[in-house]
Amino acid sequence: MAGIGFELNKLAKRDDILGTLGAYMHSAMAIAGPWLFTVVALAAISILHGGTGDDLDILNFRGIIIYNFSFSLVLAAPIFMVMTRYLADAIHMENVTKAPSVMLESLLLVYLLQLPVAIFFYAIYFELSLELRLAAFANMFLISSVWLLGVFLTALKDYNAISKTFFCGMVLAVVASWLMQGSGAVGMVMGFNIGLAVIVFVLIARIMAEYPYKLTNEFALKPYFRKYRELALGGLFYNAAIWADKWVMWFAPESITLPSKMIFYQDYDSAMFLAFLTIIPSLALFVFSIETRFFRHYRRFYEQILAHAPLQRLKQYQTDITESIFAGGRNLIFLQGAICFVVILLAPRIFDFLNLFFLQLGMFRLGTLGALFHVLLIFECIILSYFDCRRATMNIYLFFLVTNAIFTYLSMDAGFAYYGYGYFLSSAVSFIVAGFVVVSHVRKLPFHSFITNNTSIRPRVKVVEV
Amino acid sequence: MSIHNDADVCLILEGTYPYVSGGVSSWAHQLISSQGHLSFHLLSIMPDDADLDLKYSLPSNVSGVTTIRLGKLPTGRRSASPHRKQVHARLHEALNVLTSNQPLHINHLRQLLESLEYAGDGVGGHILLDCEEAWEHLIELYEDSYAEHSFLDFFWSYRAIVGGIFSILNTNIPRAGIYHAMSTGYAGLMAARAKVQYDRPVFITEHGIYTNERRIEVTSADWLEETSSKALTVDETRRDLRDLWIDAINNFSRVAYQASDRIITLFAGNQIAQLEDGADPTRMQIIPNGVNINHFGNLGRNPQDKPTIGLIGRVVPIKDIKTFLRAMSLLSQQMPDFTAYVIGPREEDPHYDAECERMTEMLGLQDKVIFTGRVDVEDYLPMIDVLVLTSISEAQPLVMLEAGACGIPMVATDVGSCREIIEGTELEEDKALGHCGHVIPLASPQAASEGIMDILSDKERYEAFSVAAKARVERFYNQTLLNEAYQSLYKTYLS
Repeated sequence: MAGIGFELNKLAKRDDILGTLGAYMHSAMAIAGPWLFTVVALAAISILHGGTGDDLDILNFRGIIIYNFSFSLVLAAPIFMVMTRYLADAIHMENVTKAPSVMLESLLLVYLLQLPVAIFFYAIYFELSLELRLAAFANMFLISSVWLLGVFLTALKDYNAISKTFFCGMVLAVVASWLMQGSGAVGMVMGFNIGLAVIVFVLIARIMAEYPYKLTNEFALKPYFRKYRELALGGLFYNAAIWADKWVMWFAPESITLPSKMIFYQDYDSAMFLAFLTIIPSLALFVFSIETRFFRHYRRFYEQILAHAPLQRLKQYQTDITESIFAGGRNLIFLQGAICFVVILLAPRIFDFLNLFFLQLGMFRLGTLGALFHVLLIFECIILSYFDCRRATMNIYLFFLVTNAIFTYLSMDAGFAYYGYGYFLSSAVSFIVAGFVVVSHVRKLPFHSFITNNTSIRPRVKVVEV
Repeated sequence: MSIHNDADVCLILEGTYPYVSGGVSSWAHQLISSQGHLSFHLLSIMPDDADLDLKYSLPSNVSGVTTIRLGKLPTGRRSASPHRKQVHARLHEALNVLTSNQPLHINHLRQLLESLEYAGDGVGGHILLDCEEAWEHLIELYEDSYAEHSFLDFFWSYRAIVGGIFSILNTNIPRAGIYHAMSTGYAGLMAARAKVQYDRPVFITEHGIYTNERRIEVTSADWLEETSSKALTVDETRRDLRDLWIDAINNFSRVAYQASDRIITLFAGNQIAQLEDGADPTRMQIIPNGVNINHFGNLGRNPQDKPTIGLIGRVVPIKDIKTFLRAMSLLSQQMPDFTAYVIGPREEDPHYDAECERMTEMLGLQDKVIFTGRVDVEDYLPMIDVLVLTSISEAQPLVMLEAGACGIPMVATDVGSCREIIEGTELEEDKALGHCGHVIPLASPQAASEGIMDILSDKERYEAFSVAAKARVERFYNQTLLNEAYQSLYKTYLS
């Protein structure tokens, strides 16, 4: 008796309808973390060294740091997006034996990507002393290593290691660079490098200790790049987007061109970095409260699918998810809105207190408004990432990038009074667009869960023959 | 004006030849080899993740092989919403009938094929299964009849059924003079489709009855959640996911029988089920299995010093090896010394195989019972004094016919056509040949050991059974009869 016996027993216990449920580390930390780190570091440097626009050494130092932070982040982002996805899958399948290999692969890839840029900057284009070139070159690679290792450990949820190490390392870096002022820019960069190097070595050691597996020479990430190219591109677009307005503004009439040929617009950059710091409370609220509540409802929806719930019940849980998203959004808007409001009002006082350059005030206020919408945008994109809407998030990031660049360019054209409107309007519009995407996705959640984002749309059958 | 055919006969096979070895496969292989004057094209339907190693070397008159992966559809193009809505409007009625207990008619199949044509080139999984219109249809059916049931299980079941149907309908099939399916099920659906599309003669040869077998599997499946305890209403119309499967499978048979010009099976017992599923009695026919009489007759006898009992079959639950082992245990109380062979592959169900091994040890039969694994049966047939089959389900076991051709008496359970082989059919001429063994009830080690004891203890009875076995197989289960029957059928319908 021949025929295909349907051994669909695996279906009932199947959990790959969900891919890797909730293990996507596109949580707040992965998206906002690196930027936050940048911002804190640069803000700290700004504050420590004061607004003295004259000392060439300090300016060169800041220029190098800013260039390195910005370009290494944008180049490393695609790699670490794919890397975190790999790690999420590895954790889900409880097989992290390739973790150290993947870390090395990722580092090498990032270095490869960066190399042309680093060579262009420090071997060709910028006019700096040899020691400074070397220090800056090393700095770029150290910074990208820090990105990668930080994100790596975040993906593995090793928060402890990261926060302590980063904190100590950054303190060391900033203090060391300040102490070395006397030795000029080289000293400052070297000091900074020391702090970074400490972070890098401690983190590598930690990874090697936690994951004592042999290194393999297969390129584990290769299939992941193909399959998740939308993630990689999304990472590229997003990080380029958050730097886009700064890059454009470096060509404003008020920008500085150093003898070393580095261009930047210090006032704008500092104002924006400071403004972005205002989102920290909201980020905390999101990570500790909203994300957990949303995640609970989200997980329940998928668990109930696996628990053979009827559709009626699933629709109820879908409603709960929607409600938790809206409630969370409301809370964020209130909190961040309130902070934004207060900060804008008190801006002059803040500037006085921190001894900041008053010309940055307008940009700072607009930056604060922009940051409000930016953090809401992050929130929306994280929700979409939970639902594995990779293409949608990639497109939203692209939209953010394009609008940020264009609007900033237009605002630059319009004159000093309008500086900052580019970022603000772009993040506001992107927030609205992303909002529509989130709503439309959640409305059709069953369809998207079972079909659009279902990584396994095939039942298994087995042959029986007598 | 005749259009060139790819082959004379297109054989439609599901889960069998040439990628799986077994009874039906060997039968198909033998059929093709015996009709060397005709060209055959193989249309083999396999599960989508099966490995496709050829288990047979194809005879030279096989002109081509088309393999269909069940449930695997190319993604196909994405089309605009209005177009998709129209495609699904056309698919709607036919799909609804298919997945309900309404009887499917061959016109519904025609409707489905026309809808696919309407959908145009490049239609694939996206339009048929993955778009919002397809989803809406799925939801509609769910909310209509299965609203309290696990949505997950419904989703996969519906998708498997409908996906399977589309992978049958949405693929190119060769042009042939005759389409001959080896079972109903998806193979039968394919045969019906060939009828609608090319209007050529269609045969079905059923070994086991597909609908029965799948019904058993579906009913006992633990991957379909239990719902009967959950609903508290006594509602006639309450349907269960098992109904979804069984109705679809029934409908495949129904439409296959409607499309067939000849509905063939191996023995009369099967015909009852075929009639129930709507087969037209005027098209039905019995052509039993056959073995090569000369070959098996000339294998010779190689009697061993101890009485030797053989069970020839795979070590799987459906062969109920455990009852055999218990029977051997009972037998050992009556007969101190004997050898029992379990002759068949052991890899298919390692769990069951391990249990049988443990049981053998527990019963203290290690030195009497030998599991041979995969061997050439012909090496063992000369050694066996009695063939025993304790199967829970059989059609017309080739091993019984082969053993009969060697003159080996048999003890077999009353399943399939085992009784007809042992005691003869209704035909006077057959009955007159006498019994060639004992028919026993299912799962009764007692009856099995008594039957074996009876055969082995009485020399005259043994001789009588042996002669009857040989005579019956020679007269009614002769391979030449089988070959001639199909030769004449093919000839009639090819002209």
